[in-house]
Amino acid sequence: MYEQLLEPRYLWWLWDGFLVTMAISFLTIIFSTTLGFLLVIAQQSHIKIIKGVVIGYNAIFRYSPLLPQLFFWYFGIGNLLPIEFKLWLFDEPEIQLFLFTLKMPSFEFIIGLIGLTCYSSAFIAEEFRAGIMGVSNGQEQASLALGLTRWQSMRFIILPQSFRIAFPPLIGQYMNIIKNSSLTMAIGVLELSYVSRQVETESLKTFQDFAVATFLYIFAIVIVGTLGNIYQSKYLQIGKV
Amino acid sequence: MDFKGFEIIWHNLDYLIFGNFPGGIVLTLLMSFAAIVFSTILGIFAGVGLTVCDGFLRKLLVIVLGFLRAIPVIMLIFWTYFLLPVLLNIDVPAITTVIFALSLIGGAYIGHSVHAGMVAIGKEQWQAAFSLGFTKTQVIIFIILPQALKMMLPSFVNQWVSLIKDTSLAYIVGVAEFTFIATQINNRSMVYPTEIFLFVIMVYFIICATLDFTVSVLPKYHLFSRKK
Amino acid sequence: MKFLTKSLTAVALISTLLGVNTAYADRLDDIEKRGEIKIAVFDSNPPFGFIDEKTNKIAGLDVDYANEIAKALNVKVELVPTNPANRIPLLTSQKADLIVANFTVTDERAKTVDFSLPYFATGQKFVAKKGLLKTADDLKNLRIGADKGTVMEITLREKFPTAKVISYDDTPFAFAALRNGVVQAITQDDAKLIGLLANVPEEQRAVFEISPFSITEEYQAVGVPKGETRLKEKVNQILLKLENDGEALTIYNRWFGPDTNSAMPRGDFKIGKGQ
Repeated sequence: MYEQLLEPRYLWWLWDGFLVTMAISFLTIIFSTTLGFLLVIAQQSHIKIIKGVVIGYNAIFRYSPLLPQLFFWYFGIGNLLPIEFKLWLFDEPEIQLFLFTLKMPSFEFIIGLIGLTCYSSAFIAEEFRAGIMGVSNGQEQASLALGLTRWQSMRFIILPQSFRIAFPPLIGQYMNIIKNSSLTMAIGVLELSYVSRQVETESLKTFQDFAVATFLYIFAIVIVGTLGNIYQSKYLQIGKV
Repeated sequence: MDFKGFEIIWHNLDYLIFGNFPGGIVLTLLMSFAAIVFSTILGIFAGVGLTVCDGFLRKLLVIVLGFLRAIPVIMLIFWTYFLLPVLLNIDVPAITTVIFALSLIGGAYIGHSVHAGMVAIGKEQWQAAFSLGFTKTQVIIFIILPQALKMMLPSFVNQWVSLIKDTSLAYIVGVAEFTFIATQINNRSMVYPTEIFLFVIMVYFIICATLDFTVSVLPKYHLFSRKK
Repeated sequence: MKFLTKSLTAVALISTLLGVNTAYADRLDDIEKRGEIKIAVFDSNPPFGFIDEKTNKIAGLDVDYANEIAKALNVKVELVPTNPANRIPLLTSQKADLIVANFTVTDERAKTVDFSLPYFATGQKFVAKKGLLKTADDLKNLRIGADKGTVMEITLREKFPTAKVISYDDTPFAFAALRNGVVQAITQDDAKLIGLLANVPEEQRAVFEISPFSITEEYQAVGVPKGETRLKEKVNQILLKLENDGEALTIYNRWFGPDTNSAMPRGDFKIGKGQ
């Protein structure tokens, strides 16, 4: 019976992969939320060109699968970087940051993070936009009539409300980020799916291996969902008027 | 970049489109269509269920939907393909498994959107409808659902686009859809991954953009145009 | 809590699945009764198993062996396209009876699956810019691209812990990484690398070369479900007969003979000899 289970060393491999998955997902969530927010602010602008650029950005990143996008970043952009810079990145240098010494993550990790961030920020911008559209037009006009500037009405009236509307789908997007991070294995990021393939290759215990990986993904996503629910019911009080 | 890579795409165009029938782009479209239809139907039922059920039934539904939203798509396809035959003692074809798994996951997401839409429609409408003597079923079918569905259309489109892109995960059970066939050709020609995957991006972009355009732009001009 | 129950159910399901495997009646009888054998082969791994350009059907060295095995058993053959991620599940869930898919034998793997006699021998080699690799020591500080699902990444990590290994989905991507300078060398079976360079445009063939050394000697064999001894014996008999008839050599020459674009001498390897 026991020889059918995964040996402890494989479990450790999977655990290491899980930590990388968490790290890349967490950073993607932070960066793509910021970028998505900036995109939607830009889209509110009255200048046609800026608006057009944002709409184009969102369409390109949302309508094509993530995997080819990652290849594009990895092979396309990787090619444009100056060779010295690439070699410096390949060495994974340590950077002195005030008190900490930060080890640079691998080249693959950085590219994976960029690819995931661009892809997810387009989706997040769409969620924010839906939220802003959900706040009725009358409110903006009312606040403008009260003498607030357009920026002020955005900052104090529209955005806080739209954040409430956009919050539940935003949590959904964060869950998707964790799931999507698995695709970065194609460009060699040592995350959970990549490691589970390694375990599979070496041990051939595919079912046991994938079961552990599935469980870890569900575990991470349930945690995000639960945190989201707690925050929502504590601070946002959706459903109460 | 020379044009040799695009030549390879051109020479294999019919294989990319049809595969060994059914396969390729055609199969991607077929599976996407089936998954979109089934997931929308499932999603509507789930959404209505979330809104009207309470107690144990609702909790169960919430857990099932939560589980489906939490499991990575590729893993659900994998597990249904290999575990379903053991549980049901029948051999389920791979294409069916993929459609089944995608429908379940899409249905879970759409269910939440439908529910959100139904909640967003004010209490007054429910009460007004009841006072007109409609039964609960009638209110839902004729008053609430049509409005909720219309309101949440953008969110459906998002989900449908995801479903189309997720059909590419069918490779895990060996279904020869478009990405899978592109990979086969990529491996045979060995040295043109950039061109081949540029083509893959383009095809998906066209499919998804067409869907989005048809669903979200056209109705404004034709079907639902209301005179003001 | 709910998810704990769920995962426990999943574990229970898996053990049933594995249990089915051992409690099952003899697979060889089953194949003969069915009149059909299901064999898992790769479909994107030339020249072992790939989609033929003219017929759009799977062809290759592995496929020839699969057909010969079916012919010797006097049953029809159904080829199941597979990839490294699902070949074992196909075998355990009985969607395939045998794996003939460039399957490298290791001791660790032999705990989960039974292997027949090896029918192919290769060595792990490298492709890099000309002159970069002279001896195996040159690998030490390089970034090396490999393929997922192969044992090469593991071998490299064990033998050259200071080298950085990155696994890509398949050989074309590994080679794209090499051309882009993201890695300085890529590794594969010598047989596959020869085929790769044969496909490369002239101007690139002038830049890259295959390493003069190989760091392993590997054998590829047919994967048989664990414990199906009769089936394994039968496959071994068939393979030996193919070697004695000269059929094994014919198959080899069809894909690696002097007239092919991946020409490579067979060396002294013979099915059933030594090892």
